[in-house]
Amino acid sequence: MSEPLLEVTGLEVHFPIKRGLVFDRTVGHVRAVDGVDLTVQRGQTFGLVGESGCGKSTLGRAILRLEEPTGGSVRFDGRDLGGLGSEPLRKMRRRMQMVFQDPLSSLDPRASVESLLTEPLTVHGLSEADRQEFGRDSTKSHAAKASAMLDVVGLPGSALAKYPHEFSGGQRQRIGIARAMILNPDLVIADEPVSALDVSVQAQVINLLEGLQDLLGLTYLVIAHDLAVVRHISDVIGVMYLGTIVEQADSDDLYAEPLHPYTIALMSAIPIPDPDVEDRRERILLRGDLPSPANPPSGCRFHTRCPYRQATRCDTEVPALRPVEGAGGRLVACHWAEDIRSGAVHVADPTLLVEPDVGVPAAGARG
Amino acid sequence: MSTSITGVEDRTLVRRSARGPVNRNEVLLEVRDLRVTFQRRGGVATRAVDGVSFAVKPGEVVGIVGESGSGKSVTSMAVMGLLPSRGVQVSGQALYRGRDLLTLPPGELSDLRGRELAMVFQDPMSSLNPVVPVGTQVTEVLLRHQDISRADARDEAEDLLRRCGIPDPRRRLKEYPHQLSGGMRQRALIAIALACKPALLICDEPTTALDVTIQAQVLELLKELVNDLGTAMVMITHDLGVVAGLCDSVNVMYAGRVVESAARRELFGHPRHRYTEGLLASIPRLDAPRGEPLRPIPGTPRDVLGWDQGCAFAPRCRHAADDCIVGDLPLEPMGRMGHEVRCVHPAPEHVERLRSDLSAPVVAGTTTDADNSASGGGELR
Repeated sequence: MSEPLLEVTGLEVHFPIKRGLVFDRTVGHVRAVDGVDLTVQRGQTFGLVGESGCGKSTLGRAILRLEEPTGGSVRFDGRDLGGLGSEPLRKMRRRMQMVFQDPLSSLDPRASVESLLTEPLTVHGLSEADRQEFGRDSTKSHAAKASAMLDVVGLPGSALAKYPHEFSGGQRQRIGIARAMILNPDLVIADEPVSALDVSVQAQVINLLEGLQDLLGLTYLVIAHDLAVVRHISDVIGVMYLGTIVEQADSDDLYAEPLHPYTIALMSAIPIPDPDVEDRRERILLRGDLPSPANPPSGCRFHTRCPYRQATRCDTEVPALRPVEGAGGRLVACHWAEDIRSGAVHVADPTLLVEPDVGVPAAGARG
Repeated sequence: MSTSITGVEDRTLVRRSARGPVNRNEVLLEVRDLRVTFQRRGGVATRAVDGVSFAVKPGEVVGIVGESGSGKSVTSMAVMGLLPSRGVQVSGQALYRGRDLLTLPPGELSDLRGRELAMVFQDPMSSLNPVVPVGTQVTEVLLRHQDISRADARDEAEDLLRRCGIPDPRRRLKEYPHQLSGGMRQRALIAIALACKPALLICDEPTTALDVTIQAQVLELLKELVNDLGTAMVMITHDLGVVAGLCDSVNVMYAGRVVESAARRELFGHPRHRYTEGLLASIPRLDAPRGEPLRPIPGTPRDVLGWDQGCAFAPRCRHAADDCIVGDLPLEPMGRMGHEVRCVHPAPEHVERLRSDLSAPVVAGTTTDADNSASGGGELR
């Protein structure tokens, strides 16, 4: 396989916690991202899932250096982004774009769609391919490109003169996507691209993102909390928990057989719109909430909530993200992954296991 | 072990219920032809809810599903009498044990609300008072509705929080809402709603602001309440997955009207309204084979037609024809088991699917009795 487009090694983003008015003493760090390795191949979609506060958005921003990483490196197309000065970085950004979650807050309410779309072109200029089609950089060629882009994302040309508030959520997200794609980037990081949208509109935007990937040969890093959405569009999925990736696998494999206890619990917690499936599946509940990233648990970060927790190793040894034997090169950060897979290690606390709803006493009396 | 999955202690809730055995066949709440119209002075009237009817029995969960703007939350607010009186016209009936909540004097409604009717709101951050400790907010309900001393109320509140799965409740009682995590805040809100062991609980998107693993905990807690205490519940949500796992019957709302109403299995197995059908086809499912493109519903929920001009969904419907543009489409019984649909060209019944359902040994019986949730217990994952 050719060289990967994006290679992240040991990336860390630690935010200092400051105390005091006069002297800003640093009393600790929020370890939002704490040692993440990931590789994204060209043309691939890498999905990043995790609950709120697990650091997935910070990771996305740190890759683009919208947030300055405190450690580790990001290599984009063979070049280390960390070492780039501001001007080379700015030039590099034309190849890496971002789609944000909430289009209403990421689009300037006082700018018309035309100026929103031509702004990236003013900053970076038309791409090589577009220059052949639309001519040299000029207001005219930029406007032509903007209107062509609107067509691609499925908005009418009349939208150019309108303002963001005049559109519905789905249309606004289309504008956000058009703005990211107008420079013909190589990598697009989409941070929760559909979670602010109505259910019936989400599918439109997901299909649009997929269509654009085929059309423009894009590489995606999709960040979302909804595993069903991520699984639908991703080739490879990384599951994040408290600043680290705990499992990485092909999206089909991940669904067929989750290996990390957190993934297992996450999968079983996602409601599926089918009563037959819902009634028959077994659920594994997690106790409590996400621990504070300022003071992560020792050893495995998941051990405080892990239903499979064992007496040894879990609370003392930090598990590395390693390939699991006999599972086709899947990466899992759990000491007991093999044993859980073979069934040698069970859910330790039976109260965390919700058996399928069979013979609920009230069921017969209903209706 | 004394604590169950959600931390609800061994069925103490059941023993403590002052209401005695519940008659599960009594209709607890019956909403008839509810209409809510908003009108600003000089503005155009907007009908947010247009003739909604449903009934809830004890131990039953009725789901109301819809997208934003479909009128599902306004329905619940109207039933609870929480809409402002100015600029709002509410008509129809909401009979709770035979008394119409919509015409009840404010004083009597206040006595009922919190004691027999309770509500869990979507966003605990905006429905809890940020400058009042959680404990005070819980005891407030107890002191208002029950004749108990402050000390007893405090003990009771501590007990409530513990039963709702909040660890270390004594400390939490003194804390302010911002010191609690999202899941805990939602649990505190549920504790407040449950303080007087209400007979009817209305949940307005109780888990939308929560992460899935926390959502699973909260849903499990609600399920235990319904099964053990016989609480009647109205579940308002946009998440079809939550509905599939929790509700007994489902009402799908679109633009202020119920467009389809059926028992849970019937609705998901044989959706007849084109909107329901479209919704189910457009959401990515975790267990669906990959690579299948989603079939989205075109347009946005804002592209509606007034119901008096025709089917409100017609502008977005792939099967819309000229005869869809007729005023006042009725909600008609269609097919089996109280399945009601408001559609001129409903989806055909899946004959093959029906057959496969019947022949499948595991789910035998479920197609003939949609409410029978006692299906075979094969593990799926």
